[in-house]
Amino acid sequence: MTPFVAEVLIPVGKVVAVILYPMVMVVVMIWLERRVVALMQGRLGPNRVGFQGLLQPVADAVKLFFKENIMQRQADTFLFNVSPVLVMFSSLLAFCFVPLGEPIMLGSYNLTLWIAESPVGLLIILGLSSISVFGVIFGGWASNSKYPLMGALRSVVQVLSYEIPIGLTVLTVVFVARSMDLVEIVRRQEASGVWYGFLMPVSFVVFWISGIAETNRAPFDLPEAESELVAGYHTEYSGMKFAFFYMAEYAHMVLVSSLVVILFFGGWLPPFPSVKALSFLHAAPGFVWYLVKIMFFLYLYVWIRATFPRYRFDSLIRLVWKWFVPLSLLNFLAVALGRFLL
Amino acid sequence: MSRLKRFLKMAFLLDILQGLGVTLRLYFSRKVTVQYPEQVQEPAPRFRGILRLHRDEGGEPLCIACKACQRACGTNCFDIEGKKEEGAKVMRPVKFDWKLDRCSFCGFCVEVCPTAAIRFSREFRLTGTGKVGLFFRLPDMYLAGEDLQEHLCAGCRRPQ
Amino acid sequence: MAFKEIDLNMGPQHPSTHGVLRLKLAVDNEVVLRVEPVVGYLHRGMEKLWENLTYTQVVPLTDRLDYIASLSNNLGYVLAVEKLAGIEVPRRARYIRVVLAELQRLASHLAWLGFMANDIGAMSVLLYGFEARETILDVFEEYCGARLTIHGIRIGGVPHDLDGALVARIRKVLDGIPARLADIRALLDENRIWKGRTVGVGTITASAAIEYGLTGPPLRASGVRWDLRKDLPYSSYDEFDFEVPLGRNGDVYDRYLIRLEEICQSIRIVRQALDGLPEGETSVKVPRVLKVAPSEVFHTIEAPKGVLGFYIKSNGTDKPERVKMKSPSFINLQSLEHMCKGNLFSDVVGILGSLDIVLGEIDK
Repeated sequence: MTPFVAEVLIPVGKVVAVILYPMVMVVVMIWLERRVVALMQGRLGPNRVGFQGLLQPVADAVKLFFKENIMQRQADTFLFNVSPVLVMFSSLLAFCFVPLGEPIMLGSYNLTLWIAESPVGLLIILGLSSISVFGVIFGGWASNSKYPLMGALRSVVQVLSYEIPIGLTVLTVVFVARSMDLVEIVRRQEASGVWYGFLMPVSFVVFWISGIAETNRAPFDLPEAESELVAGYHTEYSGMKFAFFYMAEYAHMVLVSSLVVILFFGGWLPPFPSVKALSFLHAAPGFVWYLVKIMFFLYLYVWIRATFPRYRFDSLIRLVWKWFVPLSLLNFLAVALGRFLL
Repeated sequence: MSRLKRFLKMAFLLDILQGLGVTLRLYFSRKVTVQYPEQVQEPAPRFRGILRLHRDEGGEPLCIACKACQRACGTNCFDIEGKKEEGAKVMRPVKFDWKLDRCSFCGFCVEVCPTAAIRFSREFRLTGTGKVGLFFRLPDMYLAGEDLQEHLCAGCRRPQ
Repeated sequence: MAFKEIDLNMGPQHPSTHGVLRLKLAVDNEVVLRVEPVVGYLHRGMEKLWENLTYTQVVPLTDRLDYIASLSNNLGYVLAVEKLAGIEVPRRARYIRVVLAELQRLASHLAWLGFMANDIGAMSVLLYGFEARETILDVFEEYCGARLTIHGIRIGGVPHDLDGALVARIRKVLDGIPARLADIRALLDENRIWKGRTVGVGTITASAAIEYGLTGPPLRASGVRWDLRKDLPYSSYDEFDFEVPLGRNGDVYDRYLIRLEEICQSIRIVRQALDGLPEGETSVKVPRVLKVAPSEVFHTIEAPKGVLGFYIKSNGTDKPERVKMKSPSFINLQSLEHMCKGNLFSDVVGILGSLDIVLGEIDK
């Protein structure tokens, strides 16, 4: 392996892959959401564009690409333009730290399935996903209209409040795994033989529900509720800028699903490692298992959206401050005690 | 005891899981979509589609230009003139203008017609590209049969 | 803390205003202070139009008032005309009218359920409700040829008879609805999110409800027992055995439960009517041109949305001199401000949904 390939081509390739991976997942999600929600509602969903409607995301992208970018005269131009970029940027950048599997040996070269591994990778990801809040508030403010502003404010309060249970539940995992490095966390789950989702189910449930609230998805999608605020903070956006918000939301969903899978469900580990009869499961490479698990959680996102009504804003906030924060504090105490005693 | 039960139900998210179970079950159920235009849901026999004038077995028009339909119509869709030919037994319409855009499909004209000349067909595909297609003259009123074979596009194919 | 009031406009174009309704809201940090509905965007001049049409020609136009439940408009008007002209309708026709009216109530409540759940966010319920409604609309299509603007009741009776095949089909439809309803109830009834959105929201006390002239399910949800099918029966409703559900708190959740219960009761009434369908004619002979002696009448029926009333004044000709329609949605909409005061802005949508208004009826 020449130095050129090893030091230029492969890293560039990985960067391209890291940009493409969420984009491809976004495309898959667009199709999955519309198809699955439709099937749950007793109708067929898109099935005309391409086989089983698989080209529907392409049709959506082309449509959004050609739409007129409307901007109000009184809108703050710079902030209006920068907010979709911010939201997209924060969602995509976090993927640099998400590991997809164990390193693969290509001849003598050790190909790591991540761009960067950091001892505080988890913290960086959480920090990066918080930057998207700025994009939302800029978008709402720059639209110079009441509905988007209200939607943006609600979204900000929601995201900031739900960061706390996320942080606390992630802390329980860090406590047990003794590391904030995502690769290390998965390796510790492999070593201990039980995934943290089964060891600390309360953490998992609180993290999952808070993750749904972080990504502004149903039942916590009041900031973009169609029937109440028309479309919340992205009401005034059209064309490619709206497409950015749309894609950034899906990318954020993929990010949260990745975090759930890595922190609580063993990342790229196949299930039942000790059962001899199921050893054929190990034949599939790590990142296939990772993808399978992510797809399950993305399906769960869509399933939840199709089922539940929307939380009203004050119920949302009451839920996090009265229930989730105390619950995750108690959970953290319990885990700490357990760690200390066992 | 019931308070404990309620607390446990709330803590273990039982109502949430019940809701998820319903949508999952319906995910696998039969879908009711009728994929138009490959599949067409055939309307009922009494369906109130577009109006048509009918002829009898001998090919003679049934309409005797009595103008009962014109009087019964609440929205002034009809404009009929009849003439009795020399040696003919009944009057025949020479002008039968009907406006589709005024019709409310109420059925009074069908109910009052003494010879059952004007009847509803089951044609519901009434789209067109021009307003001129919404105005029907006498020859247009006889077009197409009873059922869904012909698409009577108001505006594209009738001879102008 | 400064008191800052924002004026919000839920304009005529809005996904949740059930038509072209404009709501001018004054909001203080999410809490609603004032609600002013602005109506008239769908005004078509119906009442004036009817003065130029004969009594019979008016009937299909009444379909377009409450277009979700058009048969009940037909029934209200036709009963008023029959009372005015002194026409006695045969018993079989009265039973068929009850069947049709109660099926229409089922369809209307299923549509309401779908819309309200969709406004609050449970979008699948919209499709489940409409799937059930489609089965009923298919029955209407088979009966008289139309699904939405049905025109299935004539002055003097009903246009067609219910033959055996149609009765069997109606029974099949009735058997299918409880399963759908059970699905929807499993999704919503005990759901903590649904209850959080509806319990204690938009409350109106019984005395306030009566003062505002509220009728229909919202009135019964506040605990007032007033159902015209029982209290001022028309069209043989007194021959059927059914219950009128009553609520306690007068909030959105009670209105939801009451309409669900009314669906079950309607199924019960239709079954009784089909079982006991008497022999006889389906309509009496009414002169082609119906002339009515000078007189006036006001007749009310229990439409799915509330009390629907028609005031007709005749002057001896074949056209009415004045028809005035008392639409339930118009009166119910008055109480929106009372119900919304003090609630959050997000609740306005839910409360509006629970009132079940139709703009065609409000604006005529």
